[in-house]
Amino acid sequence: MTNHWIDLRNADVILAMGSNPASNHPVSMKWVMKCKEKGGKLISVDPRFTQTSAKADLYAPLRSGTDIAFLGGMINYIIEKNLYFKEYVVNYTNAAFLINPDFRGPADLDGLFSGYDAKTRKYDKATWSYQKDENGIALKDPTLQDPNCVFQLLKKQYTRYTLDKVSSITGTPKDKLVAVYELYGSTGKPDRVGTECYAMGWTQHTVGTQNIRTMAIIQLLLGNVGMAGGGVNAMRGESNVQGSTDQGILFHILTGYNPTPNAALVDLATYIEKTTPTTKEPGGVNWWSNRPKYITSYLKAIYGEAATKENDFGYAWLPKLEVGQNCSWLNLFDAMLKGQFEGFFAWGQNPACSGANSNKTRAALGKLKWMVNVNLFDNETGSFWRGPGMNPAEIQTEVFMLPCVSSVEKEGSISNSGRLAQWRYKAVEPIGQARADAEILNDLHFAVKELYKKEGGAYPDPIVNLTWDYGEKDAAGKVKHVDVHKVAKEINGYYTADVYDTKVDPPKLIGKKGDLVTSFALLQADGSTSCGNWIYCNSYILKDGKEVNMMARRGKEDPTGLGLYPNWAWTWPVNRRVIYNRASVDLNGNPWDPKRPLLKWNATDKKWEGDIVDGGPPPVAVSGKLPFIMKPDGVASIFGPGLAEGPFPEHYEALECPLEENSMSKQRINPTIKIFGGESDAFFSCDLRYPYVASTYRVSEHWQTGVKTRHCPWLLEMQPQNFCEMSIELGKELGIKNGDMVKVSSARGEVQAVAMVTERFKPFNLANQTVHQIGLTWHFGWQFPEDGSGFDSANMLTPNVGDANTMIPESKAFMVNVRKA
Amino acid sequence: MANNTKNRKAILVTPELCIGCRACQVSCKSWNQLPGIKTHNSGTYQNPPDLSNTAFNLINFIEMPSQENPARWLFVSRRCMHCDDAGCMKICPAAGAIYRTPEGAVAFDSDKCVACKLCVNACPFDVPRYNDQGKMSKCHLCFDRIGSGMEPACTKTCPTGALKYGDRDELVKTAKVDGFSTIYGENDLGGLGAVYAFKEAPKLYGMKENPVIPSSVIFWHKYLKPLSWIGLGGVVAAAAIHYLAIGPHKDEEV
Amino acid sequence: MAEMVQKESGGAILNHWALAISCILLMITGFAFLFHLEWIGSVFGGFNTMKTVHNWVGVIFSVSLVFTMFQYLGDSLKYDADDAQWFKVAGGYLSHKVKVPPMGKHNPGQKLYYLGIALFGLLIALSGFGIWLMKENTTIMLLSHLVHNVAFVFFCIMVPVHIYLSTLANPGTLPIMLSGKVPLALAKKRYPKWVKAMGKM
Repeated sequence: MTNHWIDLRNADVILAMGSNPASNHPVSMKWVMKCKEKGGKLISVDPRFTQTSAKADLYAPLRSGTDIAFLGGMINYIIEKNLYFKEYVVNYTNAAFLINPDFRGPADLDGLFSGYDAKTRKYDKATWSYQKDENGIALKDPTLQDPNCVFQLLKKQYTRYTLDKVSSITGTPKDKLVAVYELYGSTGKPDRVGTECYAMGWTQHTVGTQNIRTMAIIQLLLGNVGMAGGGVNAMRGESNVQGSTDQGILFHILTGYNPTPNAALVDLATYIEKTTPTTKEPGGVNWWSNRPKYITSYLKAIYGEAATKENDFGYAWLPKLEVGQNCSWLNLFDAMLKGQFEGFFAWGQNPACSGANSNKTRAALGKLKWMVNVNLFDNETGSFWRGPGMNPAEIQTEVFMLPCVSSVEKEGSISNSGRLAQWRYKAVEPIGQARADAEILNDLHFAVKELYKKEGGAYPDPIVNLTWDYGEKDAAGKVKHVDVHKVAKEINGYYTADVYDTKVDPPKLIGKKGDLVTSFALLQADGSTSCGNWIYCNSYILKDGKEVNMMARRGKEDPTGLGLYPNWAWTWPVNRRVIYNRASVDLNGNPWDPKRPLLKWNATDKKWEGDIVDGGPPPVAVSGKLPFIMKPDGVASIFGPGLAEGPFPEHYEALECPLEENSMSKQRINPTIKIFGGESDAFFSCDLRYPYVASTYRVSEHWQTGVKTRHCPWLLEMQPQNFCEMSIELGKELGIKNGDMVKVSSARGEVQAVAMVTERFKPFNLANQTVHQIGLTWHFGWQFPEDGSGFDSANMLTPNVGDANTMIPESKAFMVNVRKA
Repeated sequence: MANNTKNRKAILVTPELCIGCRACQVSCKSWNQLPGIKTHNSGTYQNPPDLSNTAFNLINFIEMPSQENPARWLFVSRRCMHCDDAGCMKICPAAGAIYRTPEGAVAFDSDKCVACKLCVNACPFDVPRYNDQGKMSKCHLCFDRIGSGMEPACTKTCPTGALKYGDRDELVKTAKVDGFSTIYGENDLGGLGAVYAFKEAPKLYGMKENPVIPSSVIFWHKYLKPLSWIGLGGVVAAAAIHYLAIGPHKDEEV
Repeated sequence: MAEMVQKESGGAILNHWALAISCILLMITGFAFLFHLEWIGSVFGGFNTMKTVHNWVGVIFSVSLVFTMFQYLGDSLKYDADDAQWFKVAGGYLSHKVKVPPMGKHNPGQKLYYLGIALFGLLIALSGFGIWLMKENTTIMLLSHLVHNVAFVFFCIMVPVHIYLSTLANPGTLPIMLSGKVPLALAKKRYPKWVKAMGKM
């Protein structure tokens, strides 16, 4: 989230698209309903009339996988009707920047951008660049008239997204399109704000990242980013998924979103040089220019005393990806199936039900030599070898079950979608042999380290040099119990030497060796500070000589009245509640919207008032520094060359879709996605055997694959079985009545479900065909309830094809057949 | 009617704010330690299908046609209404089995319940349910929580304020100020302890129009009950007068 | 010793008292249910036991009621001119001066009383069983509840009348229901037609 949960109440218009908060983020609806109570409007755009739609002021249906067409139409509408916030667009976005005249877009190249190589399914992005003057500063046209300026290129691409065209793709009635565009477009006025809430309804597509990009462009056109009640807000699917990405759980990033080194980045200097953005733009704060400080402090945190200037702070010990290697989920399981590795920790997850194309996933597990299943309960993964269609005699995988504790049985922090890190306490003692993850890791770490110490091995250094100062040690040198406060403090960071401010004379002591660092602005690139995760620097500080856990704060003050609650727990970065908040004020530091003054420049005292200001410099008119400090050029990217598919989002159909052609262009599917070609990777488009669009989703009562919730009788009572929602029309066509048992099949598998034949699903009337869509929940699995009455996971059906940037599988749009069981 | 409205507490149900998340159902079960029911999906989100002796509250999922949208989907919390003039309390023959708490809740004591099942027949809202032993159970407004100054489990959990607990007068007043034209249960049956805020006809939400206690129960309560002791007392009195004024039968005089 | 005649058989006496005692027990517990008289409930060890007692005593009452049918129903349905005259003088209860016509074994007041007991007894028993056994049927439950209570009002009025008339108001009556025998002299005064029919007058 750019903003935070409570901030939803500050909006004038909330667009819930790619999400169903009433079902899946019910507590967020507290703030949505508060917004509505004050006269705010809720728009729900969803293939199905959901619980959120039931609360919406405006509902518009759309066929799964057509969000870019829908939103592209909105961009067109906003430009055409002049609804954009010009002052914001010109000053705070790259709309005025001139682009390489050789750049071509989908309007010129029939759906492609310049630089496409069909063989590698990749773009050469050379032409996706700014025109620069002799000093390396981008050329701009603040009148937005130059045909090569971002704004005009944007206009050119989206002029094609007419109401008729969009409606024929999405199946949304034109009047509904106009109503949504009109209402959401109304937030382009300085004193009106709109926010967007998305979840897996946007990410789980082959164009997932671009779905979100499209919305980001709209929010920038309307001047809604950085504002109270604005932003683009990811509603996370797990309570701590924000924390896990923050802490570098994903393969491509270390902590704090520093990129994982690859084989070409041979030493720290190269890493810094290649990954640290530079800019000549005078207005660019370019916060990432601090990367050397963050990566060095990170290395100091994990390798401690062993990390010295001489040994490149242990940079060589960091694991490296091959250049271009992608170790995301789908690739891992593909490699597992091919026998490319033999061991697997399934830690707090249930891949046999959660991964797309469960049959492939389950087959892959059978290729492993060993698997460790760390979970609260045994699950379909740990017991995959005795699952449906498996022959235990043929499976050699040795499975170890390590019971772990639930979140209420241990102490620690959880970071929610709003980047709020909250400290939690142990409520009850764990039962049986269950242990906290940290304790299991502690054992594992010690055992592996001892083995490396004793036996050497190929490359022991990365392991034996790891710091592990998490508590009192026993005689053997093993930490007895992990003190999570020590972990939290390591993440925050320490001074590893006395640090002085040398700009003043005599140099002033900033921090004493061994003290906690209070802000990432004080981190050093010379090894005199350590910090496990720079964005969490300031979460555990030294105040008046005392160590203060900022995440454990429980202050209920709300000085701005905007629900920032700055003394409640702690938000990264440096307790800033709304990021890019310096975009909420005009060039002089006065709030665009005086009713919701997130920030205000006090010219007399020369300081910002309100939220913790992004970056710190005075207003643009005073400092010249632009608000989007994480972007090298200081402005937000309407033109964003970072993604695989192109600098502007373009509508492509899902890999499996009911249409022979993409009526926007000749490019039917995302030209840059990776297509697996194995036997188990089947997919079919426009195939009579699989005529219906399908989507998977969640219900309030269950969590993820349901391992936690299916074992709770109270929740099972409310949602006991997988169900398949379909329209009355489709039910009639197939002779299926409400409550009938049905079998749903795709190119990859089959699953049983109870039919829920409902008015809430309607067929989509496209240009010259009617498309039916169905939907299933993916919370169930064969193992529990033990009588199999819940049925198996809907991921038996989903395709293992991922977004071109994130490799998140396309579980929200694929093709199936339905028949009466 | 009792109308001890000064301190009377109530739950205000605002279906317009309900999102159908059913946290109320879970929290109720959690607080009251009620077992899960083995159910099946019958083609609706609503589950369990009806109130039961182990399901004191329930969200009714009501789907209906709509002009604007594919459907209208209403979520309506159902539970004991805690009537001021409670049919169950009226008809209950067992002293203390169904009783009113100082907050105005209609609570029950299973130990005292005689399993006669009369209460369900006198309830205008079809609320009381029975366990294997025939003992009545239903929502008791978390009498054990509210008695200690806490709010009921369901209202505590509700994320949107669709269920609110508080002073009844205050809740009704606020709902009116918030523009809800119909306060269902404001005056019905002496005023319900679960009042509903609607902008449309309550019937739309599946609410009973003019809920009343069965007339036979009223007749019994109003006339027969007093008549029984008046009759008894009257006869005893008449006999005494007769004995004194006229005296016993004298066979000799025949 | 005065000559005695047998008025009631041993079985009839037993049945009368079974009916009477069960009826009174039922009325007491009924009152306790109706007005939540906890002190009565506590005598039975709580309302739960009291309910069980009420139900099973109700069974005794019902069986006993059926037996009475064989004893009294036939006689209760026969009325003659003397009976009509008896009504005119209100059985002599309102004044000792009036002449009460000669009566048979039962006077019409007793006969009517029995008919009332039979009818309302049947109703209260049937409705009792309705409440006890037909719990799932709201209509039957509510109807039974109503009928049970209407009949109860009758019992509340008529049972004390009967007790008064058979004790204080008519001295010498109670012993008859205890021993079954009545002195012939008294019988000749009270039940001349019955005595005549027996051929003893």
